[in-house]
Amino acid sequence: MNPRLLRTVGRALAVLGLAGAAVLAPTGPASAAPQPIGRCTTSSGVVLAVDFSHWGGPVYRSCGTTPTTGYELLNQGGWRTTGTGHDGPAFICRIGYSGYQGGKQYPTSQQEDCVLTPPASAYWSYWHADPGENTWEYSQLGAMSYRPRPGSVDLWIFGGTNIEGTKGRPTVTPDQLRAHNSRPVGGDPAPKPEPKPDPVRTSQRPADGDQAPPPSEKPSEKPSEKPSKSASPSASATPSPSPSASVTTGAAVATPEKGAKVVDAAPAADAEHDSGSIVPVAATAGLVVVIGGAAVFAAKRRRREQ
Amino acid sequence: MSSSPYTARTAEEGTAAAPDTGGRRLPRTLHPVAWWIWALALATAVSRTNNPLLLFLVLAVLGYVITVRRTEAPWARGFKYYLYLALTVVAIRVVFRAVFATGMTPDDHYLFSLPHIPTPDWYAGIQLGGPVSLEALLSAATDGLRLACMLCCIGAANTLANPKRALRVLPGALYELGVAVTVSISVAPQLVQSVQRVARARRLRAGRNKGLKALRGIVVPVLEDALERSLRLAAAMDSRGYGRAGSATRRSRRLTGALMLLGMCGLCAGAYGLLDASAPKLLGLPALAAGSVLCLAGLRLGGRRVTRTTYRPDPWRFAEWAVASCGVLSAVLLFVNVGYDPAELNPSIYPLSWPTLPLVPAAAILLAGAAGFLAPPPAPPAPPAPPTPHITAPRTEESA
Repeated sequence: MNPRLLRTVGRALAVLGLAGAAVLAPTGPASAAPQPIGRCTTSSGVVLAVDFSHWGGPVYRSCGTTPTTGYELLNQGGWRTTGTGHDGPAFICRIGYSGYQGGKQYPTSQQEDCVLTPPASAYWSYWHADPGENTWEYSQLGAMSYRPRPGSVDLWIFGGTNIEGTKGRPTVTPDQLRAHNSRPVGGDPAPKPEPKPDPVRTSQRPADGDQAPPPSEKPSEKPSEKPSKSASPSASATPSPSPSASVTTGAAVATPEKGAKVVDAAPAADAEHDSGSIVPVAATAGLVVVIGGAAVFAAKRRRREQ
Repeated sequence: MSSSPYTARTAEEGTAAAPDTGGRRLPRTLHPVAWWIWALALATAVSRTNNPLLLFLVLAVLGYVITVRRTEAPWARGFKYYLYLALTVVAIRVVFRAVFATGMTPDDHYLFSLPHIPTPDWYAGIQLGGPVSLEALLSAATDGLRLACMLCCIGAANTLANPKRALRVLPGALYELGVAVTVSISVAPQLVQSVQRVARARRLRAGRNKGLKALRGIVVPVLEDALERSLRLAAAMDSRGYGRAGSATRRSRRLTGALMLLGMCGLCAGAYGLLDASAPKLLGLPALAAGSVLCLAGLRLGGRRVTRTTYRPDPWRFAEWAVASCGVLSAVLLFVNVGYDPAELNPSIYPLSWPTLPLVPAAAILLAGAAGFLAPPPAPPAPPAPPTPHITAPRTEESA
């Protein structure tokens, strides 16, 4: 190739690299940090909830500071995700929490190999509830692009959804998960699970009390009223509810039966990562060299004999 | 491990049909369908894994088998073009992953950055440019390598099997289609030959070999040559009775067409139903089965109107069974998940770690490589001298 062209390309690459470094510098993790759940209030911090009930686990709930992205929330304080080979880390294929089953990520590799994009019938769907809202909204953005508002709730549930939005809606309501205290509780903001050291002990079953789990500002309601609470008010008022409203109602009724347990997940250390050994790579390289040598030898002998 | 065509070998296979060989293995071409089964099975096995170590092992095995068992026919020299194609696939995959950034996390290893092109809100799902991490490029490369390996498997089948002889196994109803395929397959080598001939003629006449003028001087004779050739071929085929409808009535032709069309629709619906997990259950296997039954019926009906005899049919003996079954066995071993963790087939790149080499899949791939010495040695190219007495196998250049 033309050396001048090469030089030009090299220079262009160098400039691109510099520009990239300049772009990259401010985009580091600015202030996103894991927090004990008590630090999240109605107007600050974001509550992250992940539903492991597909594998018999609870709904974990933790808190993070804002400005953040959905992805950062899911990758701090002991949370860890895996992307797919096809789409990179931005597609959330597996989620794990170091406090649940030793940080094992779900779905496991037997259930989903995370090579291609998982099917719409079994994937982690992403839901938001803005401050004050009590209905879930399916996320229009990916985890890396979405910036949750202070006081909002992010929920990840595993299962299938359809385009009409009638299938796979969350069974928990935003009010069951969101922070109801208007000011932080529980001392220093250091990532220490001080107010609630044992996540399991602080668990509250929604079936036990019909109130929302944390000390609630709202008065407790009658159980019969609860389903209509989660549906939109207009839908419950009309005699023939729209499909989505009826499904939401059914889901809310199903919640106490299924007993999706809400557990506070304290900020924890990340699960250990083992970078493996180089021995298999060396062994394979040796094997490939041996096979290649055999091929070259055979080709030479064949040429000699002809 | 490979045996030369002349080494002594206690071959128990095919002694009944083969002439007295004195215990030697006769050089002959393997049945093309055996090579195709072997290669497709290996490609199926490859589709299961994303482990770069296993993929490199597959490439090595393919290279070995091709070196040892390919003939000297024109199509048998084409494997390097498949390798170029494979490299292109990997390169395209890597470039696309770098341009359509998939996001960078704080744990990733930063490599370089492309200028970021902001996209409007409604297009926020796709990012153009931005920082590129080592992990992203590596995962794109392994992903591309898998596709490249599958391409190379198909390339190996094309290199090892005689395409003209492979067409003989087509059912009679598809014979016209097969002839069209044969003609189109032989176009590229013929064109190359024509170009070389015309260029040599120009050189002998001291004509220019470069530039636009020379191009016209080469293209026109080559096209003329191609046209003449195809007219000659058409005349030859016409005189041999190709393209005749035979004794088929109008009604039976229509019935055949309807059966084939419905069968193909059934096959498409069945494949869709099997691949899409949310499709109704009725669309999967039942539709596939109904489609294949309809297709088979159509083929039988269409095949009834043409009777063809085969001159020197390819034998299917022990070597064919061995080659086909070692390919199928390797695919089965990669699908049964016995003796290894399926996660090892798709090692994670986020976070970066060395891939492991699961023993059973590696052994399965090496088993597929056994085809290199299970297949009989290829017939040596015809020497210019009077042929040696032991060349009894059919010549490879023979047409279908």
